[in-house]
Amino acid sequence: MKKLRSSLIVILASILVFGFALGSLILPDKDVSDTERRPLKQFPKVSMQTVKDRTFMTDFESYSLDQFPLRDKFRGLKSFTALNVFGQKDTNDLFVSENHIFKIDYPISTDSALRAANIFSDINNRYLNDSNNVYLSIIPDKNYYLADKKGKLLLDYELLIKTLKEGCKFADYIDISDLLTLDDFYRTDSHWKQENIGKVADKLLESMNAQIVDSERVIVDTNKDFYGVYHGQLGLDLPPDNIKYVLDDSIFDAVVYNYESQKYEDVYDLEKLNGVDPYEMYLSGPVSLLTIENKTNVGAKELVVFRDSFTSSMAPLILKGYSKITLIDIRYLSSKTLDNYIDFEDKDVLFLYSSSVINNSETLK
Amino acid sequence: MLFSSIPFLFYFLPLVLILYFIVPFRFKNAVFMLSSLFFYGWGEPKYLFFMLFSITQGYVFGLLIEKYKNKKRSKVFLTASILVSLLLLAYCKYADFFIENFNLVTGLSVPLLKIALPIGISFYTFQILSYAVDVYRGDVPAQRNYINLAAYIAMFPQLIAGPIVRYSDVAAQLEKRDITLVKISDGVKRFVVGLSKKILIANVLGELVSIFKATDNKTVLFYWMYAVAYMLHVYFDFSGYSDMAIGLGKIFGFDFLENFNYPYISASITEFWRRWHMSLGSWFRDYLYIPLGGNRVSKLRWFFNIFVVWMATGLWHGAAWNFVVWGLFFAVLLIAEKTFLLKIVSKIKGINHIYVLFLVMISFVIFDSTSLKEGFSSIGGLFGAGGIPLYNTETLYYLASFAVVLILGVIGSTPLPKKVYSCLNGKNAVSVILDVVEPIAVLVLLAICTAYLIDGSFNPFLYFRF
Repeated sequence: MKKLRSSLIVILASILVFGFALGSLILPDKDVSDTERRPLKQFPKVSMQTVKDRTFMTDFESYSLDQFPLRDKFRGLKSFTALNVFGQKDTNDLFVSENHIFKIDYPISTDSALRAANIFSDINNRYLNDSNNVYLSIIPDKNYYLADKKGKLLLDYELLIKTLKEGCKFADYIDISDLLTLDDFYRTDSHWKQENIGKVADKLLESMNAQIVDSERVIVDTNKDFYGVYHGQLGLDLPPDNIKYVLDDSIFDAVVYNYESQKYEDVYDLEKLNGVDPYEMYLSGPVSLLTIENKTNVGAKELVVFRDSFTSSMAPLILKGYSKITLIDIRYLSSKTLDNYIDFEDKDVLFLYSSSVINNSETLK
Repeated sequence: MLFSSIPFLFYFLPLVLILYFIVPFRFKNAVFMLSSLFFYGWGEPKYLFFMLFSITQGYVFGLLIEKYKNKKRSKVFLTASILVSLLLLAYCKYADFFIENFNLVTGLSVPLLKIALPIGISFYTFQILSYAVDVYRGDVPAQRNYINLAAYIAMFPQLIAGPIVRYSDVAAQLEKRDITLVKISDGVKRFVVGLSKKILIANVLGELVSIFKATDNKTVLFYWMYAVAYMLHVYFDFSGYSDMAIGLGKIFGFDFLENFNYPYISASITEFWRRWHMSLGSWFRDYLYIPLGGNRVSKLRWFFNIFVVWMATGLWHGAAWNFVVWGLFFAVLLIAEKTFLLKIVSKIKGINHIYVLFLVMISFVIFDSTSLKEGFSSIGGLFGAGGIPLYNTETLYYLASFAVVLILGVIGSTPLPKKVYSCLNGKNAVSVILDVVEPIAVLVLLAICTAYLIDGSFNPFLYFRF
């Protein structure tokens, strides 16, 4: 019997090792990981120099990891083992609770909040004057809305807001935290659902005294499965979200100008639904400078929004209160050179950021 | 190259196995040597020169020592071989440590050499030293085949993190070794167990250690979690590597001696060192402690011998003062045990185990420190120094998150799993089930380890720096 067991051990281990070795050699290399949303390492260049300085070896190690057959399945197996076998509370800072995937953003960095406040103050001092009404609002991470917070590592949201507010006394703070629930966020992604945040848009418009030309909001279902960024990072086989978008008269007639591509674009780029990140359908995703003109409210004021990706889905909803909205992402555009592109005179200014960006503000320029 | 890496498991190993098993026996050592040099060169191509130089000097001096056996010149060649080996080790590993301390004492600013430590140099240098001494003592004949000696010194399964295999233990196997299905299967099993110990326990506990070091919210409980986690991390990392080395050895037909024997069940520090890194302990015993006179000398000289051996053991682990203090810490404990402490401790059953675990834990806190100050600060933290809180939410979160792995680590560091396995295997009915379950368990563990490797990134072994 010892022989049977020995044979089985050798055969099964050989199948796994030689099978995946062969698979690694013969399967075609992939360019991109759809689930992780990043390019995959390709076979590195071999030369005397790359071998001598070991770059070939280190690159080959990355290549072998990136191109391993059934890579996503193995990543899922790791997450499953860590969370369900070893009972770990998170894996790679991700955890599943209440049918949502969450990412731990802990601990609070008051230094980061102060840094963000300093950058916003600098913008205020550099470009703004009495002609501007300045507002600040922070979007809580969806961790904030966990029903069962016990024993979890959660950001001290109140302290983060307090720190930021104290550093931005020039701005009126608009509290939107009590308007949201966990259902207003995608289960597999960090972002909020556009179809659920009309109430937040209305609160912002009301707080900024916007001159609204009202029209009915209509929700359009794309009928597309949406696997969010957390889904790819976690690797577990969880059901997808569903992505929708909102239309009203102002959005329908809006004119979007993308300063990066120097082209007029649609508010919703439905082509992006088939791309790596379907959330990029909202205002074409990460763009440093963008304007949206509202043809239905020409006489109204203009708004400048300093923003992150959450605003991509929010901006169309607040368009109805302004004649034009300028969206600036200072993660991609230096805040020191904005006067080359924008005239701030007489415009409302809104700093609208997710708590995650404020707690990790090293990305702000 | 690391054992716990995709390039090793799914590129290097399958290719070497194919080559090794298709060539006739007379070429197997050549395949083994060339693959070992490739394995070493993959990690540090420029240090292949050091490796080849060391092999060559060991080969030449071995032959000369034997040729002039019982003559004065034999001793000269032995001294020359030892000096060459030690000077190379001193240059690569200790030069900057000595320069730093020389500068500190004299106030001078002699520039550092900044030499990157060649991987495994501490291990293969000790193997060459033992070879030269054994040939000089007449315990083994000099190896006349350069390939065989190179295959022994550069042997990839134990090249970079031991165990320190003595030439006398494998000399006969280099000429002839049995490669059977049962031995290969035992090797596969042992390798997968070692890989799992490294990846699923040591690395996960290593994460807890990193989290502890990164947090600003340290508590007394977190200091204890860190100390226990690090203690288990070191054991599973190093013993896991030894298991992999022994397992790989078996697959290629070699039998290496065991390196660990459940050290954390020891009832004294003396026993601990008979169970921990046994190949290093026996090496120092046979090639340093006994030549110094061992315990067959005056009491004062005996204590001196112990101090020398443990200072060397500390320095072997790293060129820094915390390693020296770590070694001397054990020297003091061993002298205390030999003179009075063991008599007291052994009288109180149960307490002796707690005594060993506590002191070994403290030793590893020192071992893990980047400076003596940090080491003493961590020890203070275990007892609430600095007014830190007993626990907080963060500590409890990580305690809950790592509880299962910590418990698995504690159980896995005792002979309990092995005893249960042997007991089940001894029963006919269960043994039949194990015939199927055990191969599946090996497969599942290998798959899970692969999953962890793919999910993770570069994952160096702890004992590399030694």
